[in-house]
Amino acid sequence: MSMSKGHRSRNMFHAIATDLHFWIPFAVLLGGLFLLDKLR
Amino acid sequence: MPATRLRTLQALGIFCGFAAGAWLGGAEAPIKLVNPDISPITVSLIMVFGVFLARWSVPAFVRGTSHVRNDVRQAPHLIVWAVLAGCMWAVANTLTIYAIRNVGLSIAFPLWNTNSLLGIFWGFLLFNELHYAGWKRWLGVLGGAVCMFGGATLLAIASAHQATPGKATLGVLAALGAGILWGTMYIPYRKAYLTGMNPLSFITFFTVGEIVTMTGLAVSYRGATPLWHELVGAKSVMFWLMLGGFVWVIGDLFQQYATKYVGISRGIPLSNTNQLWGLLWGIFVFHELRGGGQTLYAQVAGGSLLMALGAVAIALSSATAREHASWQDAADREGQRYGVEGEYVRAGMEGRATPSAEIQGRGLPADPNARTLLDWLLILVTTGLFATLAVMARLPHIDIALGWAIALTMAMLALLATCAAALWRTTRFR
Repeated sequence: MSMSKGHRSRNMFHAIATDLHFWIPFAVLLGGLFLLDKLR
Repeated sequence: MPATRLRTLQALGIFCGFAAGAWLGGAEAPIKLVNPDISPITVSLIMVFGVFLARWSVPAFVRGTSHVRNDVRQAPHLIVWAVLAGCMWAVANTLTIYAIRNVGLSIAFPLWNTNSLLGIFWGFLLFNELHYAGWKRWLGVLGGAVCMFGGATLLAIASAHQATPGKATLGVLAALGAGILWGTMYIPYRKAYLTGMNPLSFITFFTVGEIVTMTGLAVSYRGATPLWHELVGAKSVMFWLMLGGFVWVIGDLFQQYATKYVGISRGIPLSNTNQLWGLLWGIFVFHELRGGGQTLYAQVAGGSLLMALGAVAIALSSATAREHASWQDAADREGQRYGVEGEYVRAGMEGRATPSAEIQGRGLPADPNARTLLDWLLILVTTGLFATLAVMARLPHIDIALGWAIALTMAMLALLATCAAALWRTTRFR
């Protein structure tokens, strides 16, 4: 029996949230927004 | 993967990297045609409109959007990664506008191209790139990286002569910030391609992040009403900016294929040969550095050459079969974490069709390369919009060398044709 869509989505977001690879670019993105704010 | 196939894909990735360099380099040229009175944020927003149109219409033209649906079914998590990368691209692109304004095209380019150093670092640390590569390849990559850093430093020193007084530091900061964002943006790229996604699918979601971020930035920085007035006032230059965005997308697409087939530690330095193309456009077409002393020319030319030599050294250190096997380990890890079918991941890495998808035809039309009504609509709307904007466009009174501009454009088109043909023959744009 296949997993429900909701269950699959929850698994997917859990996998992303616990993946360090996600938080590195996310932190850099925040840093970039900060720099842009200082430059304008 | 058979050794001959691996060699073919490596050569293809390297070729894509060089084609990317030409198109990414040419993309910044139209910005120089724009009146400096327009806010950089608005300039960036208009460019992103062009980028958005290109990122949907080019995949529709090349393979049709049915393939995008299939990729999303196989690896839905990559939508999140693509959107994140798109957000980063938008912020980095806005920073480059500040950089170009403050230190000039020929200086800003090499500075943000230090993103390749970061790409090598992330590739090694997170995706097993350069593992079991042997000392010669390590020397090529590290030696190349040191060369590129030296070249960037030389150009940063030259910026003190070229930039408006007091603006050099801001320009250098903006360019380096863009480099860090772009260097880190390759993490999502590599995640996607290790898991087998097609670059043409990745960019369609990537651009959602771009346009949402850019619109949010523009509205919050400028205010909705002033922004609207500025957009209306900019209609005579809108074509040039959107053209810049369109050209950028073609370069970025080649860069994505390079990243897919040779990894980020090699793909990024190769596409960073855009710095040489930027230099050619800046010096020959826009007469940048005119009136500068011999020392300035020596610094800029020497710095650029050093960076290019570094990139070539890295490019020549292509992956061995053993290193490629360690990429496969990273791909398996990704597949397991996100529950992606092993066959889909392997087929993606090898640039071949996924039997389960194409034989069973999951949502794909009978002819996998057939276009749907949506595809033709996307192509038609984009073409119509660009044609309308071209009619409204005005060429600003700026001293440009038209002969050089035509020559460089022809060279870019020749690279586009040959590289696209190679991609089609080898992978059918997979």
